[in-house]
Parts: sequence; structure tokens; C-alpha cells
Amino acid sequence: MELDLLFKIAGVGILISVIHMALKQAGKEDMAHLCTLAAFALVLLWIVQLLGRLFRTVQDVFRLS
Amino acid sequence: MDMVQVIGIGITAVLLILVVRRSHPELAVQITIVVAGIVFFLVLDKLRMIIELFTEMAKRAGIGEMYLIILLKIIGISYLVEFGAQVCRDAGEGAIASKIELAGKVMILVMAVPIIAFALDTILRLMP
Repeated sequence: MELDLLFKIAGVGILISVIHMALKQAGKEDMAHLCTLAAFALVLLWIVQLLGRLFRTVQDVFRLS
Repeated sequence: MDMVQVIGIGITAVLLILVVRRSHPELAVQITIVVAGIVFFLVLDKLRMIIELFTEMAKRAGIGEMYLIILLKIIGISYLVEFGAQVCRDAGEGAIASKIELAGKVMILVMAVPIIAFALDTILRLMP
């Protein structure tokens, strides 16, 4: 099902580590940290959507509320 | 949805985490959350069928619908608490995990009060 989400996150992680290293070589340390933060926020967005759907299904299955 | 798929997802996730953890530990935690969610989704589909079977059997056996619903809620809460507490403990935050478990226990206790009350009433009624 959401297997591609798993690989998207891993891809973002690897990409960001490469960008981080490249920017560090270029001397733009702060830009590198900003890129890491942006990647973190993007992945968080995907995860929140998945968790939202998951918790709605759990509430529906267990008639929680 | 068979077991092999779950094991495959778990192992690939572990390998991805090992790759990502060196440079970005916070992404590793996010991968754990995603995998936990995906497996939970797969399990919930099967669970829905089992629960419908139980409710149908309970209806035929004449057990009060309310008690089965309370039982289902308690199972649901324990599922969610285990999900959240395990992810927090995996990320290294034992304190937050125990707080989540405490809240879960309180919620379950609150839900179990009507059943306890009913049990006491029946016992008292049976007393001579």
C-alpha cells in the first residue's frame, strides 16, 4: 500500500545527506542546516497524513468515538 | 495480506534505517513510525472481519451490545497506546512512553467502570 512512502522517506534522507555534505564543502553551513530542516518538515507532513488516516481507521474499526 | 509481506517490509525498513541513521537520526525515527503505521493498516483490515464476526455472534448469544462495544473500545485503546508507547521508547524517550501508557491505563479504567458496577449489582442481587 503505502510502501512507496517508505522509500520516498529513505530517498529524501539520502539526498539530504548528500546535499548537506556538498553545501558544507561549498562553505554554506547554514544553508545545509536549512535544507535538513526542510526535508524533516516535508517527511513530517507525509507522516502526519498517514497517521491521520490510520487513527481515523482505528476509531472506525473499534468504534472509539 | 500474508506474513511474508510484513516481514519483508520490516526488514527493508531496518536496512533503510541503518543507511539513514548515520547522517540523520531523526529521519530514522520517522521511518519507524511509517512502518508501524503501514503494518497497523494491514492488520486492521483483518481485524475488522474478526470484530464483525464477534458482534454478530454476541447478538445471536443475546449478550448486551453495550458490553461488547466497551470491550472493543478497551482493545482499541490498548492497541493505540502500545503503538505510541513503543515508537516513543524506540526513539529513546522512555519517560514519554510511560506517560502514554499511564494515560491509556486511566482511559481503560474509566471505560471499565460501568462493567464493574454491573458486576457488583448482579453479585449483590444474588446474595441471599
